[in-house]
Amino acid sequence: MIAVRAPEDRALASPIGRTSPVAKLVLVGMWMAGLALTTDPRPPLILGAIGLAASVGLGRVRLAALAAALAPLGFAALTVGFFNAVLNPANGDASLAALVSLGPIRLTAPAVGAGAAIACRVGAVAVLGIAFALTTDTTRLVDALVQRAGVPERFAYGALAAFQAIPRLAEDLVSLRDARRIRGLRASWHPRILVGLLVLAIRRADRMAVAMDARGFGSGPRSRYRVERGSWSDVAFLGAGGVILVAAMLMGR
Amino acid sequence: MPGAVAGRLDGELVVGGQRAGHDPQALVARQVGIVFQDPESQLVMERVDDEVAFGLESLGWPAPEMRARVPEALAGLGLAGFARRRTARLSGGEQQRLAIAGVLAPGPGVLVLDEPTANLDPDGTRELAARLAAMRADRSSTIVLVEHRADLVWPLADLVLALGADGRPIALGPPEVLLERHATQLAAAGVWLPDVPGREPSALGPTAPVSGPAGGRPFVEARGIGFAWDRARPILRGIDLELAMGDRVALLGPNGAGKSTLGRIVGGLLRPTAGTMRLAGGDPVRLPARELARLVGYVFQDPERQFVAATVRAEMEAGLDARGRAGVAEVAATLGLPLDAFGERSPYSLSGGEQRRLSLAPVLARRPGLLVLDEPTYGQDRHGYDLLVAFFRARVASGSAILVATHDLRLVADLGARPFVLTPTASGAIAA
Repeated sequence: MIAVRAPEDRALASPIGRTSPVAKLVLVGMWMAGLALTTDPRPPLILGAIGLAASVGLGRVRLAALAAALAPLGFAALTVGFFNAVLNPANGDASLAALVSLGPIRLTAPAVGAGAAIACRVGAVAVLGIAFALTTDTTRLVDALVQRAGVPERFAYGALAAFQAIPRLAEDLVSLRDARRIRGLRASWHPRILVGLLVLAIRRADRMAVAMDARGFGSGPRSRYRVERGSWSDVAFLGAGGVILVAAMLMGR
Repeated sequence: MPGAVAGRLDGELVVGGQRAGHDPQALVARQVGIVFQDPESQLVMERVDDEVAFGLESLGWPAPEMRARVPEALAGLGLAGFARRRTARLSGGEQQRLAIAGVLAPGPGVLVLDEPTANLDPDGTRELAARLAAMRADRSSTIVLVEHRADLVWPLADLVLALGADGRPIALGPPEVLLERHATQLAAAGVWLPDVPGREPSALGPTAPVSGPAGGRPFVEARGIGFAWDRARPILRGIDLELAMGDRVALLGPNGAGKSTLGRIVGGLLRPTAGTMRLAGGDPVRLPARELARLVGYVFQDPERQFVAATVRAEMEAGLDARGRAGVAEVAATLGLPLDAFGERSPYSLSGGEQRRLSLAPVLARRPGLLVLDEPTYGQDRHGYDLLVAFFRARVASGSAILVATHDLRLVADLGARPFVLTPTASGAIAA
C-alpha cells in the first residue's frame, strides 16, 4: 500500500552498494557542503549529473526507481526556483530589460539566473540523497555508524527498529481515517487522528523495546555479526569524489 | 523480565538459578527467551539472518560461533534458505517462526510464548503448532505457552496452569486431570476448554444458523469486484457477493488474501478498481459520511485503531444527532460502561475487554443494516467471546447483515455464516 522505498538487491551488490556506508555518507556530506557554498549553477549541474550517472552506472539503480524517488523532490526544486525568480529584488530594477512581463509580474535575466541556480542546488542535493538511499542497506549503515563512526548502539539500533515500523504507521493512518468516516465524521484531517497515531506508535515502540530488552539488548558489551572494515576501495572512492568536488567548484568561478 | 515492566512482583521467581528482577537482566536473558503476540513489533533487523544474530550479538557471542549458530537456528524452525530475505516480506507465520528462531538461538533454558498465534492464519498456526510439538518431543528447553484458545495448546501441554481474573491460580496439573476435576470451575472463569465429545460446545447452545428475514432486493450487491494498488499485482478479482438483510457471510482465507480489503470496499471505505458495488441500492463510496454511518457499522480487531474521541462519553456520542446523543446513557449501561463511572475516562485507559465493548457502542446507537467485522474475536476469553456472539446474533435477529473477515471457525459456526473463501494466487484473489 504505502511502502518505504527500499534499495533493490542489485543496487546493493553494485560497486557503490558495496562501498562502506560511512565513506558514502562522508562524501555526500562533503558534496552537499560544497553545494551550500556556491551560488553558481555550474557546480550543482556537474555534481548532480555525475551523481545520477554514478548511481545508474556504478550503483546499478533502476531508472524507473530513480525517477519515482526523484519526481516529488524534482518538483519541489522547480517550485523553489520559480518563486525565487519571481520574488527576486532584481525584478524591481527598472534599468534591466524584462524577459517576461505579465501584469504585476516582471522577470529580469539576473532573477531568472538566480532562480535557476537555486533550483539546480536543491535538485542536486535531492539527487545525492536519493543516490545514497537507493544504494545503501539500512542494516549495514547502522552497523557502519556504530563500528566506524562511534554512534551509540542504543540509539542506532533503536532508530533502525523505528525505521522498520514506518509502513505500520501508514496502515494505522488508513485505519484511523476509516474509523472516522464510518462514524459520520470528517475523515480528511483532524487532530484526533494525530493522537491515535501517537498512541499506536507508542504502544508499538513499547512492545518493541520490551522484546529487545528480553533478548539482552544493551545489557553488556555487544559482539559483531557483520564486521564493517575500511578498505582501499573506500579510500579510492572518497579520493575520486573529492577530486570531482574540487574540479566542479573550480568551474563555478 | 520484571525490570522492564512497571508493576510490583511479590514472592520470588527463580529461573535457572537466576532471580528475575534481582539479578542483571543479561543473566536472565540468557536463561529465558520470550516471543510476543505481534511478530512485526518484535523483529528489529531488516534481514532474516541479522535478526537471528541480533540476540547473540547482544549477549556478546564471538563471531565464529554466531556464524555457525545462525543457520542452525533457522533450520530448526524450517527457515533454511531464508537467511537473506527481508523480514518485512515474510508471511505472518514465517515472521513468528523467525521470532522464535531468534529467541532460541542463544539456547535459553526456558522459552516463553505469549499468544504466539495471535496474528496468524490457520496455515501459520498449524505450522507453528507442528514446530512446537517437535520442540516438545526434543525436550531441549522448557516451554511456557500463554494462550486463550485451548484447542491449540491443550494437546501440547504437560502441565496446565489456569489463572483466574484476579491473577490467582485456579488449578495446576496435567491437562487430563484439569479437564476431569476442574472443568466447570474453569468454564465459569471464562477459560477456553477444548471441545470434548459429549461436552456442551458453547454456553449459547447449539450452533444452528440464525434465521433472518429473507427475500427482497439484496442489501449488499457486489458484481465483478476487483482491486489493485498496482495493476500488475491485483489483490482481488471478479468477486460476486450478495447479502440480504439478516445474512451472514464469513470471509475466509490466509493473511494477504484480501479479506480486509474486500471488507473496506463493501463498507464504502475504498473504491474498487473494477466492478460495481451497491449498498442499499447506492454506491457506498459516494455517500456522505453521515449517510454511510447510518448504513454500516465497523468492528476492528484492535479497538484502539477505531477510537475517534478523547473520552468514553465523546466516543459514544461521536457523529450522533441530538436524539442519538440522548440515548447514549442507555447504550453505555447496556455495554457495562456506565457513564458516571466511565464517561470521562480516556478510551485508551480502559482494559482490553472494556475497549472491545466500547467499540460496539456505535453499532448499538445506530443499528446499521450492515456490520463489517474484521477479526472481532481474537484474544477474547470465553466470556468476551460469548458476549460478542450474543451481541452479533441480536443484531442479526433485528435484520442486520454481517460480513466478517476471520480465521475463527468457531465464530463462523456460531453465527451460522456462509463461508466465502478468498485464495491469493499469482493473478489475485479468486472466490472459491
